Amino acid sequence: MGIEGKLNEGFITTNVDNLVNWARTGSMWPMTFGLACCAVEMMQAGAPRYDLDRFGIIFRPSPRQSDLMIVAGTLTNKMAPALRRVYDQMAEPRWVLSMGSCANGGGYYHYSYSVVRGCDRVVPVDVYIPGCPPTAEALLYGIFQLQHKIRRTNTIARKKDVEEAIS
Amino acid sequence: MMPQQLLELLQSRFGDKLQSSVLALDEVTIEVSTDDLIEVCTALQSEAELDFSQLIDLCGVDYSTYGLSEWATEDATSEGFSRGLDKTLPLQKKWDKPRFASVIHLLSLEHNTRLRVRTFAGEDLIIPSLIEVWNCANWYERESFDLFGILYEGHTDLRRILTDYGFVGHPFRKDFPMIGNVEMRYDATEKACIYEPVSIEQRVNIPRVIRNDSRPTEPTANEVEKD
Repeated sequence: MGIEGKLNEGFITTNVDNLVNWARTGSMWPMTFGLACCAVEMMQAGAPRYDLDRFGIIFRPSPRQSDLMIVAGTLTNKMAPALRRVYDQMAEPRWVLSMGSCANGGGYYHYSYSVVRGCDRVVPVDVYIPGCPPTAEALLYGIFQLQHKIRRTNTIARKKDVEEAIS
Repeated sequence: MMPQQLLELLQSRFGDKLQSSVLALDEVTIEVSTDDLIEVCTALQSEAELDFSQLIDLCGVDYSTYGLSEWATEDATSEGFSRGLDKTLPLQKKWDKPRFASVIHLLSLEHNTRLRVRTFAGEDLIIPSLIEVWNCANWYERESFDLFGILYEGHTDLRRILTDYGFVGHPFRKDFPMIGNVEMRYDATEKACIYEPVSIEQRVNIPRVIRNDSRPTEPTANEVEKD
């Protein structure tokens, strides 16, 4: 950057991608989709001890206001269309975080007649958190992993860069 | 009132209407036919000396594999039960009563007594509904219908209550495959959740074991062999 030192204190320079990713990772608002016992750990992560608020993570009761969906618990066949509908109602860009064995692949209920064998059969998943249920720390770690993933994305991709990346 | 007193009271009050009446483990169990069920239950609920005002639970039972275990657990070793080791136990049927039963558990708050009433469904799987006697039987009977397919005659709203919309079959029946018949996924072209025939193999995760203390009282084939 050619303007370093030319401006007074109180200014920083960056590129738009970094700015956008900083904004996105700093205010991930999850759709509250607690389905089973994992939801209790999710609540624990949101409660004062782990306090997701300090990462700008505020649970929203509406998919229209959310950009992250934490699938916390067992996804049954009966619930799956509702989950998909909520996902479809979320505005882009949106991410899905699969929390716990049941959401990852059916888990304990893998051989059950009434459970979807992994929520990735219904919605595309960005990060899988193992555990039954995962601890609140594990959920936090999963959220950090998702933040790393978001930081690697380029919102404004230059045509030249894309061509170089492909070739 | 002690269970023994309750048993004698029931026997003197209902007489031949009781197909069987047993006192085991301090619990009284009576069996009545489908024809007598409403009459007996109305008396149990309304008469002052019985006064079973509360229906605790109503459930269905499928006896089609009663007394059959997939694995033997005869030996208790220092490592615990020999769980899932011996799969040679011959399957032997020891059940001559109808396949399906509806069981209710009653509580008398007045006399502090509990009672179990069992009714076997005939070939047509019809059992009279008890919603006129205990209103709370409504959802229990829907659950029993959903999971076992028992039909409750006189029920005002006999719909499925737990399983998926459009579900086929009754999953708590012993001949229902645990993995089910269909599985679900989202189809991007149809933009909807669709059902497909199930793609995985059924597997015994946890062997079904019947411990000695809860086996039928008659000697099983395994025990006869040992003698």
